[in-house]
Amino acid sequence: MEITPEEIKLFINTVRSVSEYDFKDYSERSFSRRLEKVLVDNKMTITALVAKVRKEKAFLEQVVKDITVNTTELFRDPKIWQALRFRVLPRFENQSIINIWHAGCSTGQEVYSMMILLNEMGMLDKANIFATDLNTDVLDVAKKGEYKFRFNIDYLDNFDKVIKENPYNYEDYRDVPYSKYFDLDKTKDTLKMKPLLTQKPLFRKQNLVKDGNIFYTKFDIILCRNVLIYFNHELQTQIFETFHQNLFSNGCLILGIHESMLGPVAAKYKRRGLVYFKK
Amino acid sequence: MYKAVIIGGSAGSFQVVTKILASLPKNFNLPVFLCLHRLKHVRSGFVEALSIKSALPIVEPSDKDNIRAGRVYLAPANYHMYIELGNVFALSTEESVNHSRPSIDLSFFSAAYTYKNKLIGIILSGANKDGALGLRKVKEAGGLTVVQDPEECQVKTMPTASMAATKVDHVYSTDRIINLLKSLA
Repeated sequence: MEITPEEIKLFINTVRSVSEYDFKDYSERSFSRRLEKVLVDNKMTITALVAKVRKEKAFLEQVVKDITVNTTELFRDPKIWQALRFRVLPRFENQSIINIWHAGCSTGQEVYSMMILLNEMGMLDKANIFATDLNTDVLDVAKKGEYKFRFNIDYLDNFDKVIKENPYNYEDYRDVPYSKYFDLDKTKDTLKMKPLLTQKPLFRKQNLVKDGNIFYTKFDIILCRNVLIYFNHELQTQIFETFHQNLFSNGCLILGIHESMLGPVAAKYKRRGLVYFKK
Repeated sequence: MYKAVIIGGSAGSFQVVTKILASLPKNFNLPVFLCLHRLKHVRSGFVEALSIKSALPIVEPSDKDNIRAGRVYLAPANYHMYIELGNVFALSTEESVNHSRPSIDLSFFSAAYTYKNKLIGIILSGANKDGALGLRKVKEAGGLTVVQDPEECQVKTMPTASMAATKVDHVYSTDRIINLLKSLA
C-alpha cells in the first residue's frame, strides 16, 4: 500500500482541524511510512481512516500514538553516556541544584539511565528531573519503570560500559550491582526500576511543537534524543530555538548521535563533540 | 541518466561491497547508498574498514544531511535510513523491520519513491529476506534491479527472496555489477 502526497495532506489537515496535533512539518517519507503502517494494522483505507479520525476522538488519540515513534533504550549509545559521565556532568558538580529535562522521553529508559549515572556521581539528590512526552500511554510505562528483560538484554551490556567501565582507564572498574537500581525477574521476564528511581522524576504530557517549556524553570541539561529526526528542518530549527531560550547560560543540549543542527540556529550553540552548549 | 545507486546486503556481503567500492573511480558522479546489516556489537569501525580501499569518501549520514554525488553513504547502526525528497536524509529509530535496523526494505522504499526510474537497486549476499520487497518497489517505480548471482553468494537467501518477489533485470556476478557501475561514471 502506498499513499499519495494528497492523501497524506488530507489526513494531516483533518487531524489539525479536529485536534491540537499538527504533523505538517514531519519528515515526509518517514511519516508516510508510519501512516501506511497504521492503515495496514487497522486494515483500513485512507478514506475510512480520515472519516473515523474526524468522528471519534479516542480513535484519533490512538492513531496519533501509533504514528509517533516510541523506541528508547537504557544507555543507548554508551559513547554519549561516557561523555556525560566524564565531560559534561562534572561541570555541574559544584552547583547546589541541577535541572534536567528529557524532552520526548517515551517510556523513560533514558530518564532512568541519567538518574543511575547521577547517583553514581553523587549528584542525584540535587537533581530535578523533568520528563515529557506527547503520548500518555508511554508516560504511564515510564512512571512504572518496568520493562521486558530478555528482549532488552543489551541493557546490561550498556550499563556495564557506562557505569562499571572507564574507557580512559581499564584498571578503573567499579563493580556496581544491577540490583542497586533495578530488579530482574527471570520468570516474569521483567526489569523493574527501584523506587529510589521511580519516585523522583516529574513526568508530564507535553506537545513539543505547540507547548514550548511547560515548567517554570530553565535547565542545565536538555536531552532530546532521536525525537527531532521525525521533524523537517524548519520545525527542528524552531525547537532548537525553544531549547536555547530555556537553557541556563552554561547549559547544554544532548541530541542523538546521528542528529545534526544545521542553518543559522547552530551559531547559537557551541558544539563540543556530541554536546551542544548554549552560547 | 541514473541519479543514484542503492545497495543492500547482509551476511557475506562485506567483501563484495569492499570490492565494489574499491573499483569505483574517483570521478563516480552518483551518490551510493549502502544499507548493510551488521552484527550488533560491530557498531563502530565499519566505515573505516570499508574506506581502506575506496577512492570515494564513505560517511554515515546524520539526519537531514544533504545528499551529494560521488559519496558513499552507509546507513548508521541502530537507525533506519530514509532518502527524503529535497535531496536530504532522514533517520528513524522506529521498530526493527525484518529483525533489522537499519532495514534494507525501508531504505529501498524511500529511494524508489524519491528517484523513481532514475535508481539502480542492488541486492547482495544475505541471510534473510529484508530487501526483497524493497527491490520490488524499485522495479515498480521503473528503476533498474540487480541481484548478486546466488551461485556466487556466501548466503543466498537475500538474492533468491528478491528474485521471488520481483522479476529482476539482472542476475550478475560481482564483476559484472562492477562493470555496470563503472559504465555509469
